[in-house]
Amino acid sequence: MPAIHAIQQDKPAINGRQLCFFAAFLIPVSKFLSAPAALAFFAKGDLLIPALTHYLLQAAILAVILFLASRTDKSFFDMLSDTFGILTARIVYILYSLYFIFFMLMPILNIERFVYSAFFDTAPYLFAFAPFFFLSGFICTKNLKSFGRCADIALPLFLVSFVGLMILSVGEADFSNILPLFGTPFKSTGNAIVRTFGQFSDTALFLPLLGTYRYKKGDGKKIMLSYGLGAVFVLFFLAVFYGIFVSLAPKQPYAFAKIGQYFQALSVVGRFDLLLTYLMTVVLLFYCCFPLQLSVHCFCKAINTERKVWVSAALNVGLLAFSILSTKYYNVLYETITGKLFWIFIVFADLVPVLALCLNRKDVEKAPKTKKKTKKEATYA
Amino acid sequence: MDKLTKKLKENIQGIKSVLSAQDILVYEFQAGDGTDCAIVYTDGMTNKQLLGDLAARPLASLVPSDEKTGFTLDEIKGALLFPELKEETDPEKFFAEVLDGNSLLLVDGIDTGLIVGAKMLPVRAVVEPPTDIAIKGPREGFIEDIKTNMVLLRKRLKTSELKFELQKAGRRSQTNIAVCYLDGIVDKKVAEEVIDRIKEIDIDCIPDSSYVAAFIAPRKHSIFRELGTTEKPDILAAKLAEGRVGILVDGSPIALTAPFILTEDFQSSEDYFVSPFMATIFRAIRFVAVIIALLLPAFYVTAQLFKMQLIPLGLMLNIASSVQGLPLSPSLEMFLVLLVLEVLKEASVRMPKYVGMALSIVGALVLGEAAVSAGFLSTPAIIIVAFSGICLYTVPNFTETGSILRWLFLIVAGSLGPFGIVLLIAFLLYYIISADAFGMPLLAPFSPLVPQDLRDSLIKYNMQSLRRRPKLFRSPNKTRLKPAGDKGEE
Repeated sequence: MPAIHAIQQDKPAINGRQLCFFAAFLIPVSKFLSAPAALAFFAKGDLLIPALTHYLLQAAILAVILFLASRTDKSFFDMLSDTFGILTARIVYILYSLYFIFFMLMPILNIERFVYSAFFDTAPYLFAFAPFFFLSGFICTKNLKSFGRCADIALPLFLVSFVGLMILSVGEADFSNILPLFGTPFKSTGNAIVRTFGQFSDTALFLPLLGTYRYKKGDGKKIMLSYGLGAVFVLFFLAVFYGIFVSLAPKQPYAFAKIGQYFQALSVVGRFDLLLTYLMTVVLLFYCCFPLQLSVHCFCKAINTERKVWVSAALNVGLLAFSILSTKYYNVLYETITGKLFWIFIVFADLVPVLALCLNRKDVEKAPKTKKKTKKEATYA
Repeated sequence: MDKLTKKLKENIQGIKSVLSAQDILVYEFQAGDGTDCAIVYTDGMTNKQLLGDLAARPLASLVPSDEKTGFTLDEIKGALLFPELKEETDPEKFFAEVLDGNSLLLVDGIDTGLIVGAKMLPVRAVVEPPTDIAIKGPREGFIEDIKTNMVLLRKRLKTSELKFELQKAGRRSQTNIAVCYLDGIVDKKVAEEVIDRIKEIDIDCIPDSSYVAAFIAPRKHSIFRELGTTEKPDILAAKLAEGRVGILVDGSPIALTAPFILTEDFQSSEDYFVSPFMATIFRAIRFVAVIIALLLPAFYVTAQLFKMQLIPLGLMLNIASSVQGLPLSPSLEMFLVLLVLEVLKEASVRMPKYVGMALSIVGALVLGEAAVSAGFLSTPAIIIVAFSGICLYTVPNFTETGSILRWLFLIVAGSLGPFGIVLLIAFLLYYIISADAFGMPLLAPFSPLVPQDLRDSLIKYNMQSLRRRPKLFRSPNKTRLKPAGDKGEE
């Protein structure tokens, strides 16, 4: 069979709109799992302040990355390679590959616990969560163009589920519970910031996307505004969450499965809020697979291989083993990752993107325009 | 047989040695001067009366201008009154023509054959297709004859831009395939891609267009269709006008279209003949119905096994009283009822029409009622499967895929609960968004999002709003409607 004709050859893998949707509709979902309870545990009624602080910091980092994107079409790997040589670039990419796995360790455990609590009335069997790694394995083999499309489809899924859940829950929330602002000691708020670093350090995910995304004038504003919109979703959710659960909030992890259940009509029509929760879970699953997809992408780039299937299989088998073996050590892992190893997030998600400003951004050798693209590249973004 | 000679007897012998089938006949007669002539044709595929009136009779009264040299080819051609007349010396080619229904005229002393277009194939009447019934709108449907189908299409697109690229495929069937498109509107790359892929087909026989679809589809093992199908010329014409490529296959009443997007399945020709509001409501109903068809049995099972809160308390009590004492688990019960549905469906398609109705009543009503009375199955399970079955038929083109997906959802619901359903939804969504056919994402215009094309997707804008052709098909001619005081096309 002949290869598919190169259709839309000049299209980059991901476009600005898809990055906007990623920032506005995929990133916020990850904050609905354990972050609200953790923030409420440390900051109590001031839980919006650490969240806002994180968002401001991450927005600054995102601005740096977008600045880089506006100045060069080169990938992060190419910039590293042109500045420090190919070996350094490979090492950094392997470190980032490991970082993305590290970044996802707690979320994976959290999703597992969320699934067990929100999807089963009875005690689920040990491997009930295992098929997630099949999905993740499948997604990891796909290219970043698929991720861009995934961000497109996240828009209706997120909006329907989020708006639905908020309509069901906002009437039950007493927003006076989050007042007065700054009522919690600064130390507690600071502790909340430190302990939730991992859950808000999303902007590192944009770094490997450099080069697959071609910056157009105005994209920076749009993406920043989208990230801001995502922040509004999260802050509103946190306010509703604390407004409903108040002092019980720290003991309500995975609250988005419970937040709508107090709507009065549900006793008559059944828990259709669960359907919205399930819809939100689809978006959550997409989000959770993305860092793993990036991990495979970085690793394959570092060792210069196209065999994503094997790398993806190895990664997901490893994570499956981790999820089974670490069930009993959740608290230990939580304490270690959020309490002792939080600096890793700062280094990879904040420090490296800022340092990337010093890298060689000049396009030494532009790829020839007539370069024949492969079958997978030569289609719609 | 290598080539024709000037001796008619030798030629006939050579042809008979190759075309030895009993339906290949040779009609021998003499011209006005006594020169031997022969017509080779396939019995039942040739208009014999036409052949007699326009070929044999004129030749029988024809005498050569120079009796010494005999007939020349031009004299013979001049005497024949056929509009379709072609010289042929290559045996392979005239064998193919004879087998295709045309006739071969041979004259003693001339080493060139004349292909006479006297084909008359048995064709059925143009009727409304059973799979594409419209309450409003055209009712003509394609038939098995490719020429008729081309005419039906040409009747709707009377423009020189309508091109038919004729191909042959199938080593033994030599099936005629016509790739049709509107020049200047189609994306040439897609048309070339389709033609290239058809050229690559290497199989004995192509009895139907589905064989062609199986060969040219980019993903061979996909459970989702990658080519559109239609039995109606008006739909094909509309699709060509949007910038798609059509494929007509001789022997098949089903035309293929490429590129294909999944939303096409949720559109009906009737949507374009009713108000846009009604069309949008119809499409929404179809979409919701398909979701219900796929997920309702799965959620019923998972609610009973893993998450009872999904069902309102009152309903749950009713279900509990219905399933009390059943020997089967909810998933096994649902599995069995779905199996019965599939068997009934399969049998009702195949069984003779006269007994079909009676057996359907026995199967659906008597069997269902008896199974509930005997305590094998519960009433809710039967209601859910019946409703699911009906819902799936709101989108006829999706029934095959939907049926497979419904089984998959049932299996994951019974084994993994609601999490299995969510995982499968996520998997299928990702699978579809990463699938391209002829450079076209299956889930477009939703992913990738093409806002302009959303106007005729699950929602339907009025005709004036569809001023531009769908952006997805990358048509070089982007404008299709003439706004007031403006030039229609670019």
